[in-house]
Amino acid sequence: MTHERVAVVGIGQTKHKKRRDDLSIAGLVREAAQRALDDARMTWSDIDAVVIGKAPDIFEGVMKPELYLSDALGGAGKPVFRVHTAGSVGGSTAIVASHLISSRVHRRVLAVAWEKQSEGNAQFGLGGGKSGSIGAGGAFAPWIRAYIRKSGAPEHIGWQVAVKDRQNALRNEYAHLQLKDISIDKVRESPMMWDPLHFLESCPSSDGAGAIVLTDEAGGDAAAADGRAPAWVLGTSMRSEPSSFNGRDPIRPQAGVDCAWDVYRQAGITDPRRQIDVAELYVPFSWYEPMWLEGHDIAPVGEGWKMVDRGETAFDGDFPVNPSGGVLSSNPIGASGMLRFLEAALQVRGTAGEHQVDGAKVALAQAYGAAAQYFAMWAVGTDKP
Amino acid sequence: MTVSTQTVSTIQFPYKRTLGPVMGRFFSELTARRIVGIRSGERVIVPPMEYDPETGNELARDFVEVGPAGTVRSWTWVAEPIASHPLDRPFAFVLIRLDGADTDLVHVLDAGAEDAVHTGMRVAPRWRDEPVGRIDDIVCFVPGERAETPEGEPGEAQEVTTMEYFSTITYTDVLSPTLVRYASNLRAGKLTGQRCPQCNRVFLGRGYCSVDAIRLGPELDEDLPDRGVVSNYTIVTPTPYPGQKETEPFARASVVLEGDEMVIAQQQILDLPVSEIRVGMRVRAEWMPEAERDAAEITSKGWGTVAGFIRGWRPTGEPDEPAEQYMNRVF
Repeated sequence: MTHERVAVVGIGQTKHKKRRDDLSIAGLVREAAQRALDDARMTWSDIDAVVIGKAPDIFEGVMKPELYLSDALGGAGKPVFRVHTAGSVGGSTAIVASHLISSRVHRRVLAVAWEKQSEGNAQFGLGGGKSGSIGAGGAFAPWIRAYIRKSGAPEHIGWQVAVKDRQNALRNEYAHLQLKDISIDKVRESPMMWDPLHFLESCPSSDGAGAIVLTDEAGGDAAAADGRAPAWVLGTSMRSEPSSFNGRDPIRPQAGVDCAWDVYRQAGITDPRRQIDVAELYVPFSWYEPMWLEGHDIAPVGEGWKMVDRGETAFDGDFPVNPSGGVLSSNPIGASGMLRFLEAALQVRGTAGEHQVDGAKVALAQAYGAAAQYFAMWAVGTDKP
Repeated sequence: MTVSTQTVSTIQFPYKRTLGPVMGRFFSELTARRIVGIRSGERVIVPPMEYDPETGNELARDFVEVGPAGTVRSWTWVAEPIASHPLDRPFAFVLIRLDGADTDLVHVLDAGAEDAVHTGMRVAPRWRDEPVGRIDDIVCFVPGERAETPEGEPGEAQEVTTMEYFSTITYTDVLSPTLVRYASNLRAGKLTGQRCPQCNRVFLGRGYCSVDAIRLGPELDEDLPDRGVVSNYTIVTPTPYPGQKETEPFARASVVLEGDEMVIAQQQILDLPVSEIRVGMRVRAEWMPEAERDAAEITSKGWGTVAGFIRGWRPTGEPDEPAEQYMNRVF
């Protein structure tokens, strides 16, 4: 039995900002979705099913917002699904949509992920509504300290990633942060927020949404015949593990290793460092770039920071990471995974504009959530698998 | 001594909604005591929407004034209003088809008694004295054709772009037998957990093994030491948000109980400047006085918390343990 081939034929995203005070929540998701439909040369009526993803509802205080958003996304009379896997949700949303096609349940699916952080406060939400929230930075800082200590990485690695991703964001008109004067000195001198993480080594809070239209093989072929190259899905995977148990390696979680190798196997990748041309990794705090390079076996354990140090993950390096500017430049939490997944598709379609990596034919996208315990990854390619 | 099998928590937050161009217009018009809908093909939708709810197609911003009077299409009587209801006396929730509209507006009707309400009756708004651009600028609807309007002209519509939404929720958490036992033992000054017979790991307050997914019953209870090692920590520069009380950088440490067992996360280290906390430091629990011990923080979502029983952890002054062995243990 073979499953249906899946193609990404439409991609859209909002301009991500601290506060999109010009848009309602419905308006925000529609801005991204309409752009994806336009890109796919489709209208709402062409879509068979809608998949909506976002992080915890406490962030905006709208419970089960997918109910209210069904109409806004043309979902009347169609199957509508809500996905929620914490920070990895944007990736999981794309994967659930792809599975609806690969299983031949539907032929054309719209996947939309979003967050409107400005309506609430993420520190409040992550702190369970109480005083003294440690936030995501406070949760990850100890593991980052452990990574630095074990790998012997010099402290400038974190600053370098923070600068690199912000410079990439300058190429991306949709990115929230546009820090033209970013520098190593500025990162180093920015306030210490969650020791050892500085303010400028951390992601912003953003309003934003991302959307993709996926089709079956015939839809991908039709787009290609029309001169609009699709991105073909080469492999998808999701993995989870408990947050806390004696013996867990939270620096390089087994779920992340397994998730990556599941995707590599499906995509025929045996040497990720050589066979992948560009990667969009979920890096909300600068040190997670080297940590995921190791956590997904792109670099040997203890060597991820050396790839960063040698400039290999820079835009003009031989393994560019986050040409979009990454989570460090735009973080509408629920959408952040989707932005990684859609950027990978933009790259292999050759439609990434100013942030297009030359010759990108195979791209990897990853998102993680909660206590680095939920993973969603896909590989997409220029060539049909 | 036993503890309650339930805990009650309240969380609240002042959300700030961005209304967008269409709902923003609706609320702006309310400040001038006008109700508007939007044209969608042959229909007028009230309140207005940005899109046709059936097709998803964007609607042109063709606003239409409707009402203010209308006809009740359906209703339900609320005999005993609660605090969050819009009126403090018995009232009806009603679906009103405002004159000129093709959809129904949900609002409330102040009709005095249930037998005064019927489908098909005519109703009109009672306007608030000082409109602010919220749905309760219409205090309620009242029977009849005539709107109840305060003296004087309302003036020009004010531009309304956001809505404050104060959300509050109080919920009751039912504790598992394992958590009740855990909290009772804490009250007696004892830390207890269950050891998994398969993997030999200890878990606090869960009643099952997170790795092997098997039940851990009371027969596996084990007393644990109230001494341990700081395995890692974070120093947080607090950001302000509603409900935030912290204003200065504060530290939260993870403590691995002696014998390399369970981690207790987000602990305070007592009598030590934040900058002097080290991985590998040996510490001992400082229990709250018995009379002050309180199980309010023990919930089904907070396994292994000691909040309300252990105030913090005090350095013992013994030599540090090697850091590398402990650093991965955070939660």
